[in-house]
Amino acid sequence: MSQYQVSRLLRDIARDSEIARRCHTELPAVLKNYDLDEAEKDAVKNWSVRALFDMGVNPLLLLTSSMAMGTDIRAYTAALNEKR
Amino acid sequence: MGEIVIGIAASHAPNLANPSMLRGTDEQQVGRIKAGFAKARTLLEEARPDAIVIFSSDHFDRCFFDNLPPFLVAVGDSAEGPINEYLRIPKVKVSIDAGLGRFLVSEGLENGVDFASSADLPLDHAEVVPLSFLTPNWDIPIVPIVVNAFAPPMPSLKRCAQVGAFVRETVERWPQRKRVAVLGTGGLSHWVGLPEMGRVNAEFDRWFMDTLAAGQHSDIIARYKKAEELDAVAGNGGQEVRDWLAAAGAMPPSLKAQVLTYEPLPGCGIGVMAWTRN
Repeated sequence: MSQYQVSRLLRDIARDSEIARRCHTELPAVLKNYDLDEAEKDAVKNWSVRALFDMGVNPLLLLTSSMAMGTDIRAYTAALNEKR
Repeated sequence: MGEIVIGIAASHAPNLANPSMLRGTDEQQVGRIKAGFAKARTLLEEARPDAIVIFSSDHFDRCFFDNLPPFLVAVGDSAEGPINEYLRIPKVKVSIDAGLGRFLVSEGLENGVDFASSADLPLDHAEVVPLSFLTPNWDIPIVPIVVNAFAPPMPSLKRCAQVGAFVRETVERWPQRKRVAVLGTGGLSHWVGLPEMGRVNAEFDRWFMDTLAAGQHSDIIARYKKAEELDAVAGNGGQEVRDWLAAAGAMPPSLKAQVLTYEPLPGCGIGVMAWTRN
């Protein structure tokens, strides 16, 4: 686990719309800048809100990065409350 | 010597400044919120401040886990923002009263308040949203003081009120004869990015505002000594009441508080209050 690295990626997505865009179009290249394990890469690749939340990412950071990635707030809440 | 001439505390929910995010919201509630901000703007204009010290929050767009000060003072000449684009709030540029900012930092370091400082601090919606209602011409210099209210461990409510009191004392010994407003922005109850997102605790919010208006902020501090206790009733977003307590701590006894509006919007309790001479 490298929660700090996941958080750093989410921070960059929230701060920089170009990185958010590149996450949709060239994610492997973006991920080279972050030291993530396979589970973390999968959570980002699938933008699995629940998995990222369960990793302990700060919920504010998770919400803002999700909004930057284009996730609708209702979809975000639904994903967060889906059964584990 | 400087003088604190007015205090305002207000929520800064980004949807207040983005009509598309307000779609579907009760128009009467929104109208009452805007009326509250309009009243606060009138009071602010009547107080004729030369500068506004703003206790506000960060949302990981200026501070992060690699560098996380409890209190960060802007000391550059100006600031632009909001930095994040996804909120679709128009960007603005506002002058900073850097002289006051630097005086607060240097006096703090000599007198037990270890402020961090930034010569290039962007604005966040925490400042831009309330200022868009209060100073829509962006013509009053500001001094943002960013309070860590989202990344535990955070400064205690007691410490926030103490820092507010320190700001008042420091303004009052500032060699410049300037009129200073204090704005605290954030809250009220809301659960940000959590499974409970959408929840609001209007009972807590009303108690909080009434207690603050009665000058009893020590009661709030005594009841919520730990962040977890506040989390339970006001959510992680409710941690931003730190900014209200800092503003309350900065108020001289000559200013009296009044609640201007409160509306439990879906997702966030929205309040506005002011401390004035009358």
